[in-house]
Order: sequence, then C-alpha cells, then structure tokens
Amino acid sequence: MGRNASDLVVFIGKRLVQLVPVVLGVVVITFFFTHVAVQNPCAIWAGPHATQDQIDACLVRFGLNRPLTDQFWSYMTNLAAGDWGSNPSTQISVLATISAAFPATLELVLASLVIMTVIGIPLGVVAANGAGRWTDHLVRTFYLSGWATPTYLGAVVLAIGVGPVLGLPTKGDFTSTPTFPRPTHMSVVDALLALNFPAVGDAILHLILPASALAFLNLGIATRMTRTSMLEILPLDFVKTARMKGLSEFLVLYKHALRNALISTITIMGITAGVLLSGTVVIENIFQWPGMGAYAYDAITGYNFQGTIGVVIMFAIVVVLSNLISDILYGLLDPRVEWR
Amino acid sequence: MTETAPQTRNSSSRAEATLVSKAEASVLRDFLRGLLRVLRANPLTFVGFILVLILSVLALLVVLVPVVTQLLLGHTILLTPFDPNELTTDYGQPPSTSHFFGTDNLGGDIFSRILTALPLDLAIGFGITGFALLVGGGLGLVAGFWDRPGTIGGVVSLVILRVTDVFLAFPSLVLALAIAASLGRGTGPAMLAVLVTWWPYYVRLTRGEVLAVKHQPYVMAARAAGVSEVRILFRHVLRNLLEPLLVYYTLDIGTVLVTFSTISFVGIGVPLSVPEWGSMVELYRRFLQTQPWTVLSAGGAIFVTVLAFSLFGDGLRDILDPRSRRALVQAAIPSTLMAKAAAAAEA
Amino acid sequence: MQMAEALLDIRGLSIDYEVGAGVFHAISDLSLQITPGRVLGIVGETGSGKSTLAHAIPRLLQEPPARVRSGRILFRGVDVLELPRWKLPLLRGTGIGMIFQEPINSLNPAYRIFDQVAEAVAVRKLRDSGQTPTLFQAVEPHDYSRGKPVKTGPALLHAAIPHLPGIGTGARREALRTEVLDYLKLVRINDPETILDLYPHELSGGMRQRVMIAIALSEKPALLIADEPTSALDITIQAQVLTLMKELLEEVRTSILFISHDLGVIAEMADDVGVLYAGHLVEFGPVEDVYTNPRHPYTKLLLRSVPNRYKTDGPLPALTGSVPSLAKIPPGCPFHPRCPLAREICSQDPGPVLERAKGASASTHLSACYFSEEVATIG
Repeated sequence: MGRNASDLVVFIGKRLVQLVPVVLGVVVITFFFTHVAVQNPCAIWAGPHATQDQIDACLVRFGLNRPLTDQFWSYMTNLAAGDWGSNPSTQISVLATISAAFPATLELVLASLVIMTVIGIPLGVVAANGAGRWTDHLVRTFYLSGWATPTYLGAVVLAIGVGPVLGLPTKGDFTSTPTFPRPTHMSVVDALLALNFPAVGDAILHLILPASALAFLNLGIATRMTRTSMLEILPLDFVKTARMKGLSEFLVLYKHALRNALISTITIMGITAGVLLSGTVVIENIFQWPGMGAYAYDAITGYNFQGTIGVVIMFAIVVVLSNLISDILYGLLDPRVEWR
Repeated sequence: MTETAPQTRNSSSRAEATLVSKAEASVLRDFLRGLLRVLRANPLTFVGFILVLILSVLALLVVLVPVVTQLLLGHTILLTPFDPNELTTDYGQPPSTSHFFGTDNLGGDIFSRILTALPLDLAIGFGITGFALLVGGGLGLVAGFWDRPGTIGGVVSLVILRVTDVFLAFPSLVLALAIAASLGRGTGPAMLAVLVTWWPYYVRLTRGEVLAVKHQPYVMAARAAGVSEVRILFRHVLRNLLEPLLVYYTLDIGTVLVTFSTISFVGIGVPLSVPEWGSMVELYRRFLQTQPWTVLSAGGAIFVTVLAFSLFGDGLRDILDPRSRRALVQAAIPSTLMAKAAAAAEA
Repeated sequence: MQMAEALLDIRGLSIDYEVGAGVFHAISDLSLQITPGRVLGIVGETGSGKSTLAHAIPRLLQEPPARVRSGRILFRGVDVLELPRWKLPLLRGTGIGMIFQEPINSLNPAYRIFDQVAEAVAVRKLRDSGQTPTLFQAVEPHDYSRGKPVKTGPALLHAAIPHLPGIGTGARREALRTEVLDYLKLVRINDPETILDLYPHELSGGMRQRVMIAIALSEKPALLIADEPTSALDITIQAQVLTLMKELLEEVRTSILFISHDLGVIAEMADDVGVLYAGHLVEFGPVEDVYTNPRHPYTKLLLRSVPNRYKTDGPLPALTGSVPSLAKIPPGCPFHPRCPLAREICSQDPGPVLERAKGASASTHLSACYFSEEVATIG
C-alpha cells in the first residue's frame, strides 16, 4: 500500500536530492555575508594600530584584493575540497576544529531533547486534559516562562546562581582533562568506551546543567504542540472506544490519544532543531562546553571569518538534515501517509 | 443581497464594492468584539495584554516627557528618577526607596537605566518585527498569487521561495550574529541583522494562507460568477491572514527582542553607552553573586516584557485558531445539534 | 413490577449543558428500565437527547459543561453516578460496552486491527482470571454476580506496549490470536487472518463497524450501547450490519440499548422502544404495540410522517413547527405547541410521568400524555 521497504528508500532518496539546492544556496548566501557585506576584515584583524602596508599584505595573503568572482570560485572549490581555511590567529584548520566540536554539541542537544520529551510531552497531556482550568494555566505559565527567558539570562543564572548552590559542575564537560582517548568527542560516550565509570558519572554531571538550561528554555515547543494536538484528538470517537474497553485513564491518554498526537509533536521538534542550535551558541559559551556553539561564539565575536563561514554552513546542514529526519519520522509514525 | 440581477457591469461592481467595504468593516468589528470577549474569559491572556499596554505607555512616556518638558518648560525633566548615565556615589547598593532596583558598582541607578532601555527594546520589538512582517508578507503574497509556472510571476515566485528556503535553513540567532558581525558593531547593523533573519518566516506564513484560500471551492464559484480573481483572493486572503499574522507578530516581538538583546549581550550590538537590557546583563554578569540585583533587574525586565507578549500571543493563538476553539467546545458535547449551537455561540 | 431484576434502571435523570450561550436541558426527568436479554430502542430526532443519554450511562459525558441535575443510573444495582472516577474503567468493557456511529473515527488509526481487538480480549481475560479488579466478574453475560472487587494483581501494562510486528510479548500475542480470530469470525468477517495486520483506514466502512462490534462483544458485556451504529453506512451495508446484529442477539445474549433516529431500524432491532422528544421520554412500550397503536400524539405524528412508498395523493404529512431549542423548552408538556390534542392543561402541567397508556394492550405500554386514548383519533 505504498509503505514497503523499497518505497521508503525512494522516499528518503527523493528528499536527500532536494537537499542539494538548499545547501548550495546556504553556501552562496554565507559567502555573500562574509565577503561582500563585510567592510574590511583585514583592517580588523590587523588591529587598530596597523599600518597600511600591514593591511595590504594581509589582503594579498588572504586573496581579498581579487575580484569577487575569483574569490567566490576559490571559496567554492576550497569548500568542496575540504579546505575550509584556518583560524587566522592560531592557524588550526577550521574543518578539524568543527569535526571535533560537532559531536559535543550533538551530545548536548540530544540530552536536551530527552529532557524536553520526558518532561514537556506529559505536561502537554496534562494541560490538554484540563483544558481551560487551572492545570492548563499552570502549565502554560511554566513553559511560557521558559520561553520568555533569554538564553543568556537562563544560562547565567543557572551557571552562576543555581549550579554552585546545587553543587553541580558548570564548566566544561569533564572536571579535569581526560586521559583516555576521545574517539567520538562525546564526553559520556568516550568515557563509556574507555570503561572509565567514574568519568562517566563526571561527564553526566557536567551535562546536566547545560542540557537542562537548553531544555527548559525551549520546553514550550514540545508542550505547546502536544497540547494542541491532544485537544484535537481527545474528542474523537476512538478515545471513547478506548475508554469503553475499560482501560485506565492513563492508558487511554498515553497509549491511545498521545500516540496520535505525537505525530505532530515529533515533527515540530525536528523542525525546531534550529532553535536548539541557536541556544547552544550562548549556553556552550557560558558553560564552557567544547562544542560548535562555543566555537561559533568565538569565531563570530573574534572576527574569524573562516571559522564563521565553516560553522554557519555546518549549522545550516544540521538544520536541513533534521528537517529531513522530521519528515521521515512523520511518514513512519502516521500509518496513513504513503511513502512517495 | 440584491433582489434583482444587476443590470450592468458598473452597477454590479459598485454593489460589490459596497459589499466588500461592508464586509471588511464587519470583519473588523466582529474581530474586535470577539477579541474583547476572549480577553475577559481568558485570564492569562488578559494579564499579558494589560502588561503590554503598561509597558508601551511607559515607553512612550520615557521618550515623550523630556521632549514635552523641554518644549513647554525650557528644560528637560526626565521621567526616570536619575539620569541613566549619572554616576552617584552610592556604589553597589541593594534596592531601597531612593534606588528602586539598587545601584551598580559605578553608582548608576539601575531602575533609571532599565527604564531608559525600555523604549529602545520595545521599539526594536515592534519595529523590526513589523518590517519583517511587511517585507516577508509582501513577498509571500506575491509568491502565492502569481505563481503560475511559465509566467514572469512564476519565475519570481520560484526565486522567492528558494531564497526563503535557504534563509530558513540557518538557525536564526546564528545568522543574526553572523550578519551583525559582518556589518560591524552597532545598533543599526544589529537591527538590520535581525530584520534580515526574520522576514522569511512571514513569507511562509502568508504564502501558505494564499494557497489555502486559492483552493477553496468558493473561490472557484466566485470566479465562475465573474468576480475578478485578484479581488477574491485579496478580500478572502486578507481576512484569513489577519488572525495568524496578529498571533505571530505578537509572539515574534518577544523573540526578536531576545535575539536583539542577545546580539548586544555577545558584544556586537548596541554600544556600551546606550542602555540596553542585553548589554546590561553582560555588563553585570560577574556581579551575580555579589550584587545580584544588577543582573536580575535587567534580566527580569526582559523576562517580564517577553512574558507579557508571550502570554498575550499564546492566548490569542489559542482563541483565534479555529481548530482548537472548536475542539474545546465539541470535546464536551456529543449531541450534534447542541454542539453546533454552542459552538456557533462561542464563535 | 418487572419479573427479572432490571439490568439498567434509570430514575428521574436530568442532565443540563451549561455553555456560554445558555443552559441546554438535554434530558429532563427521564426514567426507564432495561430487562436482561431484551433490546431497548431509543428513537428520536436530532437534538432529542439520544446521544446524551447513551453517553450518560457509562459516564462518558464531560462534567463541565454537562451537569447531572438529578437522578440515578443503576446498573445491576450499582449507581453509576455515585462511583468515584477511578472506578469507572472497572464498570466499562466487561460491564457496559459501546459502539459508535462513525467507524472511521472509532478505531485508533495508529494501531493494527489485531492489536485493537487483542487489547479488548486481554482486558476481559485479565479480569476473568482475577488479575485485575473489576466490579463484575465476567464469566458469561448472564452469570454476573455482584462480587466484591478482586484484590489488585499485576497491572495491564503489557497492553501499554504497542504491538509492532516482531516486537512485544510473542507468547501472549499467540494466546490472544485464537480468540481474536474467533470474534472476527463471529461478526461474519471471512478470512479474518487477512485483516489482522491492516490499519483501520485500509478497511471499508462496513468492515470497520464489524470490527467495532467484535471489539465490544469480545469483552462479553452485560449491556451493549449502540449509538446510531448504522447511520453513517450505506444503505446496503446498513442492512448487512443490522442482520449481523440480529443474528448475534441469538448467539451472544447481551442486552442492547439501541439508539437511532431511524424508525425502521428500531422496528427491526428492538423489542421495546422509548420515544424521546426534547429530552423527555414521551412513550415507552413493546415495539409492535407502540408502532401499531401509538399512545402519544408525537409518536403518532412521527409515524405518520414516514413517507409511504406508494402514496401518491397530496403532500407529505409532516409535523408542523419545529423541534424547540433545548434552552427554551416550552412549559408544561414540551410538545404542546405542535400538538393537535393540546388543551389548556398541557401548557401548565408536564403530563403524567409515563403512566399506563389508556387503551393500550400491553401493561408495559406507557405514555406521557393525559389524553393517550384520544391519540388514535388523530388523522
């Protein structure tokens, strides 16, 4: 019925193909903002006391005095070849830095997603069940407070205020630099692979505050969508059928109603990957988490244009991929959707 | 409704025009009436609405009082108790009757600084979001109306859509930061950065609405009756657009404000001399444990403002979204007749 | 009065809906009984309160905006309205079952047919074996004894894991499979193995309704409430499902409360019939008696307005006026503004509470009209 394995392959394949023009567009727009719109990076890099000669030398070295079309061409070819430039001050390859930083951010975002799901979704169910009454208002106030708190404020308060009070670590992903190898660059995973269980505990402790910050601030996405979906689903007859089978209210809400409401919720959560990634920029900076967000923060504020380009493109690719995953999950979760 | 068939095209279009304007006037009236009823029934939304009003009025006063007093009295009187840039000798004082939010380590009165920042941040919220709405909305309307493939409109639509998709692929804060950094530090570049980041969302919204209306049977029916297509789409689309646009605008004000203040927090937005809540949080960050009122006041100001808009917008969304409204009523009543009557009465 | 103890005994039930637009009196002072083994049909127009009654019995109504003003609903001696909320699931399933009107909405679109039927079978088996509490020990529909709730055993959590193919408790699935197939065969689905792995949207309307019936019956309820089960089906499918239900009546011996707006369907299915008008029960009795010898003006006019295929002279004899809004029910007898027999007393006095209809043959034929003997004179 349009839902067998080969259909699925075609479904995914088609969407992967649709990614290509978007990624290309991302690359082009990023070039525009970093090469065309920017005034004179060399003047900034060389510092306020630089001489004209130093600036000119810098222009030549980075090829910024060539016509734009030349610059664009070498930009594209370099990107494709994997040469994403290097940090002008430290000379470390951008691509290498990003490859090391990305998994750490992934770990943080996944942990946040788990918290958002475990807390946010049941809250949405509770709110929908008591629609218009005080439970609804309470839940709404809770998640809107999270939404209304700017990331930097929440992070600062948690890191400097709450963390020390609760005794939770607020800096980095380990207390001291680990001695075991870091194949995946994800703190918990690496510690597990090294069978270093105290380190696993340490890593998890370090993960708690930043992941909670990210989760709490964005809980509203999951809760709101779950609530709306549940409100649409609860009046439907199959919920009544489930009740009339003699199932407990818990089973009716979670096994029957939520299973259908989840379709919209999961789709929305995939699409809001961008919001979570934006959050990591500030959160990783404040909690000194060694991920892409921190790198983005440093690159952007430090006028590291190569780094900025690299990280912005990387973020965009992640967003596009998570939209794709969302789309696929929707097709998997809703039995009525045909895989085309 | 006309009793007899219109005799000439002129009279039909005139009758149409009156119908249109009457319909539009009644749309607005119904909308406002519904809005008021809803506000009364929904306490959280009402609270948000009142807060938004208070903040807006305060912001206006902060800006106008000095101007008016200058004109009328010849010298400026500030609404704020102290000049925001004035450094008193009360360093690092906790909140008191003379300094409502205390003072910072240099002696500046926090309350005055926060009040002074209010008009700027509110204006950013209202203004930038409004611009994004206009630009994005306009582009979305174009992309929705004139998208027949093979025409110039079709090509333009396609371009608009592709560019929008690309912009939407960037996480908004990251894009805004990158643009702000590229354009140089300052309030203007920061505003521009946020504007450029935000317009794509409105393209999606308006285009979606246009497409939804386009495929309705009543549009085909009206076309068959001879009404011009543009006019149909215009009237119906605008009516349908009003509600979601209002909701998104209100909610976005908060998000735009947060993004702008984040750019300032990071250090590439507003210069330090201009009071702005985001940069104030960054400034006072290291005093969180020693002089918490500094950071918490600035953060609290943002929090309260964004919360106000979010409460209002979220409640509006609940009420104006016909699906959830109907669902709330029908959930309760199995009988068809009564449910319809009740739902019609609630609407 | 009744020979056997009434399975369902409703006394003086009044239910209102309080919404922004006003207060709707959905049901006013309604009393009826269902005898075990018989089918009671409730007939009425849209907005007469039939659905409300159907939902009120197992307490499916949402308490605000619905409000039970007064009355008792006694199911096998237990007052449903007095039960604490957490005990309600114990009443449903094996005590009272229900099937609904729109089969596409009544089955969960996300689960396969096997899982949905198996879930119902599992509930019943767990209660039979005493592993979960129930208010009524479900053995055979008529062997119910009002035992005390069994001590709580392990919860029905295995049913909380959606049974994806290949995942889940394999042994239990096999144990349930035979019964699932049996019940699907009971509702006359040929080759039920073929539909086990299908989703509801892949079945036809008639099939879905049969599955619904199978689910309800697999829990062997004492009372089955059918809320317009055939109204959403094509006429031919409707006939098939009705035939099926009649045959099942012989085999399964569950009592049925059958709600419909269709007089013909009620005539086919019901042993007794109650006529609802504007939330009031105006007539009650054995279906042959009520249909051939109606003793309330509304019933008589309703029956007369059914188009007779062979009638070729003059306009259809429809009732004058329209059904009143449930927020503004006329004082006294609710039907009096439209009644040809109306006297002055009818606008003040609501009429007798279902007394023995004068001139009726069966002793159980009741009417809410003072002038029931004159009904035969209405032309």
